[in-house]
Amino acid sequence: MMNVKTVSRGLMLAGLMMGAAVLPGPVLAQGKTITGGFDVGPGGFPKNFNPLAATAGFTWLTTYYEPLVIYNAGLSKIEGDLASSYSLSPDQKTYTFKLVKTSWQDGAPFTSADVKFTLDLARNAATGSVFVARLGAIADVETPDDQTVILKLKRPDSGLLSTLTQVMMLPKHALADKAPASLATSSWWSTKPIGTGPFTFSRYVTDQYVELSANDNYRGGKPKVDHLINRYFANAAAAVSALRAGEIQFTYVEPDDARTFAGKPNFRVIEGSSYVVNYIGFNQKVDLWKDVRVRQAVMYAINREAIIKSLYGGAAKAAQCGYVAPQLVPSGLNDYAYNPAKAKKLLAEAGWNKINGSKPITWLTYYGSQQAANVMAAIQSMLAQVGINVVPRVVDAPTYNGIVYKQNNPDWSAFPMVYAGLQDGPNPASINVGLNKSQLPPAGANIMRVQFNDLSAAFDAALGETDKTKVDARWQDVCRLMNKELPWGTMWVANRYGVASKKLVNFVWTPAPAGGPFADHPEQWDIK
Amino acid sequence: MLTYMFRRLAVGLAMLLALSVLVFILLRLAPGDPVAAYINPSAPLSPQALAELRARLGLDQPLPVQYLAWLRAALSGNFGYSIQRGGVPVLPLVLGRVGPTALLMGTGLVIATVTGIATGILSAVRRNSSLDVALSAVASLGISSPAFLTALLGLYVFAVKFHVAPAGGMLTPGVPFSLGDLLAHLILPACLLSLGYAAMIMRYMRSSLLEVLNQDYVRTARAKGVREVWVILKHATRNALLPVITLIGSTIGVAVGGAIFLESVFNWPGMGLLLVDAVSSRDYPVIMCATLITGAGVILVNLLTDLLYAVIDPRIQVSK
Repeated sequence: MMNVKTVSRGLMLAGLMMGAAVLPGPVLAQGKTITGGFDVGPGGFPKNFNPLAATAGFTWLTTYYEPLVIYNAGLSKIEGDLASSYSLSPDQKTYTFKLVKTSWQDGAPFTSADVKFTLDLARNAATGSVFVARLGAIADVETPDDQTVILKLKRPDSGLLSTLTQVMMLPKHALADKAPASLATSSWWSTKPIGTGPFTFSRYVTDQYVELSANDNYRGGKPKVDHLINRYFANAAAAVSALRAGEIQFTYVEPDDARTFAGKPNFRVIEGSSYVVNYIGFNQKVDLWKDVRVRQAVMYAINREAIIKSLYGGAAKAAQCGYVAPQLVPSGLNDYAYNPAKAKKLLAEAGWNKINGSKPITWLTYYGSQQAANVMAAIQSMLAQVGINVVPRVVDAPTYNGIVYKQNNPDWSAFPMVYAGLQDGPNPASINVGLNKSQLPPAGANIMRVQFNDLSAAFDAALGETDKTKVDARWQDVCRLMNKELPWGTMWVANRYGVASKKLVNFVWTPAPAGGPFADHPEQWDIK
Repeated sequence: MLTYMFRRLAVGLAMLLALSVLVFILLRLAPGDPVAAYINPSAPLSPQALAELRARLGLDQPLPVQYLAWLRAALSGNFGYSIQRGGVPVLPLVLGRVGPTALLMGTGLVIATVTGIATGILSAVRRNSSLDVALSAVASLGISSPAFLTALLGLYVFAVKFHVAPAGGMLTPGVPFSLGDLLAHLILPACLLSLGYAAMIMRYMRSSLLEVLNQDYVRTARAKGVREVWVILKHATRNALLPVITLIGSTIGVAVGGAIFLESVFNWPGMGLLLVDAVSSRDYPVIMCATLITGAGVILVNLLTDLLYAVIDPRIQVSK
């Protein structure tokens, strides 16, 4: 006869059986496969497959597409990729590219017609291309033969070659029948794209991962692994968990996580410059910062060396202007060494008590990491010591952009001061968009509304310099003026990190801004 | 019954329409838009280029025009295209996420319901025993543990530390589908999702059953010589289940919230992860569609719960 005990035992047994459900073991991918979080972090652009719309994610895109030219892995020079060689006329208004002999992944030959087709698309706003403005110097694209492309420019443009590293070549034979306006929403990009790169597109499992297969006919040799998989993660922490669990072999990691991998036998920490200068932006539309002595006081009040040492673990370089590349930084700059007494004196001379006094100043940022929060708290405290009361306000990037890019009646009081970053390399021309008065909105992204005539002239001179031997000196002029006039309070250029499993062989990664691209030769990557 | 169902469905449709207006307005009130989300602040585009993108997406139109255009298209089954994904149609994208979320939530709820009811009965029939005390203590711990803590701890212990479960995702990338692979990925997030609910159900079941066990009809059944197991399972438990069903039905909406968090932690490709992703990129069409489908799901489940009352307790007549 069943009683309470029997019921209890039955229920407990059922519970145990449920709890003891056998967990199936992990399933291994077929063939040699490298799986990574290639679009994790600031250099990634997950779920974007359209190279014309890419503002980042180039590390992954160049595993199956290729540009004409590309940075080397050290980001120190630009070399040929689909162009075997290139030359520039003495007046810097004509580029001539000689193309490599290669084929698209479907077997069709790659020719100069494809290059012209791609550049025409990239310069056509109807395609949704993000390159239209940056390729604005191109007047004409000529194709005298199948292996030669000539770019005629309206004016010298020292940033053009750098822009071309991000323009992935597209197959005319596959896309010519599509209306340019339809390309932005075409499913072609995520279903059957054709490139010239070492891997071919296999499949995209929506929002989860992209799988590529080896392109056996790649001109650089058959890739050493059969598959390359790019997994998507909600955040860098999730990718780190997958890396630790052995499910992926590579991902970008936050600096705090990078420290936990240091010295671990199964992992290799990759460190490099972020090429992003962090700065305190002074909104020139508010009266707070009109007097240069106030801006100087901000610089003297902040102990940058202490912050770099204690909060960045030494993994950042103090920036005395918009960039830190040694050849672009002249000697004799003011290093604004920590001097709170001098800061107070400068504020008193400028009449800070009348300008603002101790009233709170909103300090807007889109940086949401713990490290950024610590940095801002330290600076807030340092500025408070000299009598500047800033109140950090952290928002997400869309909110930040919505505030600083607002066109009609912007609320200047919403961003009198920002903590932000701007790409400053490998080509220093990148910072022109944030500082030249010709880049004031709506023409450009000079969101702090900096309008310093001599600085703008210096930028124009550097951008238009036709003598290669004088280019660095021109950028030194820009640096000198930035250091003197302080349109921004430049802080530092910090390092970024990736972590790779030691199972990977010949794996190359650089924490390049926007993911590069750079010559990482995925065809040589292997896994033990 | 049918009249009641149709009335509830009509109210549900009106609620969905109101929800769409509310979400539409709230989205537009939030700072930033899909184009603002498109800009990498450290490699910005010119506002001119952004204005062109905005015009191409129709975001430069007045709000009522935008809403009516969306509503007209939605009524014909076209919920638009994902802005973040370069034109992927929204409806199949969102519907494709219903399955994974239903699987995760369903499995979690089944585990929670079975273990919650079973342990609740055990606790009630062995009231004040050491087993009862132990189960009550575990339940208190389950209720008081925040979801983010249990999810992150579970991930760390089972996936990162002991490698007994995958660290995330629904299937292993690059391999053909297998049920074992799916279960391996499902079991840990489902168990973690069920923890809090199982504890709640256990507490409700225990107190409800204790109340029922003291009723006259239970005493009568025992006096008539009905076997104890039948007294508990047939006479007492059936009546004690009513408040538990109410609890399960009314917490479905809360469970969706829990699933959103869990999906983010475990990279589970469900509605939650899609919504979080869409909100952070201000992907308006995806947010609208996902919110409406989630809302419709919650309304439907609540209706089913009400109908279930009538099945469990014949005294309740929903047509009245």
